[in-house]
Amino acid sequence: MPKRIRSKIARGSAELAILALLAEQPLYGFEISKRIDERTGGILCFALASLYPMLYDLEKRGWVKGRWEANQNGRDRRYYCLTPSGRKELVPLRREWNFFFQALDRLAGVANA
Amino acid sequence: MPDWSAQVHDRLRHLDLPTKERQEVVAELAAHLEDLYEEQMRKGLSEPEARENVISEIVRWRELAKDIRRAKLEDEGIMNARTKQLWLPGLVSLATSMVFLTVLIQISMQPRYLGRSPLQMVLLPWMALLPLCGAGGAFLSRSGGGYRWARLAAGLFPTIILFVLGSILVITHLIVPAQPRLWYGSLAVTLGIVLPTAALLPGALPFLRQGKHGTRSAAS
Repeated sequence: MPKRIRSKIARGSAELAILALLAEQPLYGFEISKRIDERTGGILCFALASLYPMLYDLEKRGWVKGRWEANQNGRDRRYYCLTPSGRKELVPLRREWNFFFQALDRLAGVANA
Repeated sequence: MPDWSAQVHDRLRHLDLPTKERQEVVAELAAHLEDLYEEQMRKGLSEPEARENVISEIVRWRELAKDIRRAKLEDEGIMNARTKQLWLPGLVSLATSMVFLTVLIQISMQPRYLGRSPLQMVLLPWMALLPLCGAGGAFLSRSGGGYRWARLAAGLFPTIILFVLGSILVITHLIVPAQPRLWYGSLAVTLGIVLPTAALLPGALPFLRQGKHGTRSAAS
């Protein structure tokens, strides 16, 4: 698979993962990476180097918004929450990925693998 | 506990963002490393091991700085970063300097000014106006998120073009023998960039200072 396509898929899945998590509740960077790691059983893993550029990019596009708040330990962390525009974006994004997996399943039978 | 903020600050020295934004990124990444470090300690790792693991979380700091800058600053619009940061501001600087020059020449050719010297009527007023062109170019480059070199190049764009054209003429006259007057004319154009550069520079300088991006808020 060409690198560009592979990176587009990785990027798209990362966007979906982050937006879907933030749709549930505001989280800060470390929590986002932990949650993704836990919920996917370590299959999807976001290191700092890939997570923050992605968050900043989503913020630039107006899909998420960051604000400094104290966490439960009283330390300041930058919490990200989904903006109305991000919430709107999540719906077609989920649908697109659903179509993508269905198409891949029809083609390669990935669901039964 | 290691001073993660100092470590991130030191390693992200290549991160070219407005000061406030840069501080915020450093604080955020330092907080992430702090959480990671504490998690490693909770898992029972020794302090040096935990520190080593956290540091190894990011190998390519320079790449990270580039990615963050790109994510925070670069638009995915019609213009790419170089157009916004160099070509467009440079062309604005060049165009305004040429408009000023043309207007001054037109004015100097009016009958009531015919007795006055070109130095008095064209060159000196043009020199006085050139800082505005330099300032305009550097300001637009900074607004587009340009690095310091891009802001300087945009501010001095008229003289860069003059220098390139003059150099081409000099080289051409060296290869193809031409009238001596043309050769000296080309040489004069090439050397003549010194004065306009000196005039453009004061305008551009204020926009080269302050946290590489001055007071600008994130553009693309």
